[in-house]
Amino acid sequence: MQVLDRVRKTAFLGREFLLWLWFMSDTGEGVFDLGEKGKAEIWLDGKITLQSETDRGLETVTCAGEDVSMKEARFALAEEKEIREAAIKLAVGDNEWSFVLDSAWMNFRSFKTPRVINDGREDPDGLFYEKAFLIEEAVSAVDQIYSAFLKRRLSPEWESQDRAVIGRWIREGGTGSAKQRQETDI
Amino acid sequence: MGLMRGAAAFTRYMAEKKLPDGFMEGLSENMARYAFRDLDEQSMDERSAGWVNIMDMFDSRFEGLEFLKEPYIAISLRIDERKIPSTALRQYAKQAEEKIKEEEHLEFLSRNRREDVREAVRLRLLKRAIPVARTYDMIWNTLTGLVIFGCVRPRICDEFAHRFYLTFGMQLEALCPYTLGELHLGRDEASPELMDGLSPTRFLEDH
Repeated sequence: MQVLDRVRKTAFLGREFLLWLWFMSDTGEGVFDLGEKGKAEIWLDGKITLQSETDRGLETVTCAGEDVSMKEARFALAEEKEIREAAIKLAVGDNEWSFVLDSAWMNFRSFKTPRVINDGREDPDGLFYEKAFLIEEAVSAVDQIYSAFLKRRLSPEWESQDRAVIGRWIREGGTGSAKQRQETDI
Repeated sequence: MGLMRGAAAFTRYMAEKKLPDGFMEGLSENMARYAFRDLDEQSMDERSAGWVNIMDMFDSRFEGLEFLKEPYIAISLRIDERKIPSTALRQYAKQAEEKIKEEEHLEFLSRNRREDVREAVRLRLLKRAIPVARTYDMIWNTLTGLVIFGCVRPRICDEFAHRFYLTFGMQLEALCPYTLGELHLGRDEASPELMDGLSPTRFLEDH
């Protein structure tokens, strides 16, 4: 298989990774061991964009809000929409990053590092090294977490356990939202 | 987009982990060759692109090897573009057409003539247009091969990868879920081809 074919045929891995991250953080499993670097906590925060392909073309839903449970987005998941991108927070030790992660190319947008100590006026190289370190630290943490996802995804447990558990979580989210809609309507 | 200040957006690539023999020897020369050059005020060029100092977008001389920040190579791609607002072009072209019609006692101008007038007006306005400058930072960790480029727009990313190849003589591989998987599975001595057998998970199908 050519590289581009492989890239196209496995694009769903990015969407499933974001879904898995959401599921893990929502069920209290969003802490990952990074080895020497300690532990990383990751969670979805504030904004999520989902998409599905229908007979009428692409349908996109963007949900934003303070509510961490993001009920409307969970409802969209239950409607078989997939995550295109999500706002994420990452914490390693005392440092916290925020960014939007895209599922197709795993690009980072709206990426904010923790506050840097060096403002660059007196020591431009100091600012450079501090920023480079903070960018690489976040990228490396996300990659390690992606690697953990991939190992799980390739294991027999994905089909025998995770598919059902995540499926149930998706259904519960959809039902919760539908129920809340009904209550609001009343 | 800047990686050094404010919120950033970036694409990731992998370059060769091992730098080719003699890599440093021709580096200064190549950097100078592909460095940014100002748009000449008298020229009709609409665009200029090239490398600048990551900490100072007005410095493209690289006299002190500022791009070497061991173990990184760090530079910015600067792109200056002169653009004429479309409404201004329409307005000035219309005025020019009216003037010609009046001077030559014509009721209307042919399509070819109108196009010539529009091009002449565009070139006249281009000289008055102030270039808009944008910079996109790049940090290349030469130990790990990771290249972070501060842009997610495909057209700019393609231009960056091409310019990187011209300057450093190396092809970049864009990272995506598959290529990232290749890297990590390879490190764990698992076969990346395992991913070829995967298909999307049907979470909502009966179990």
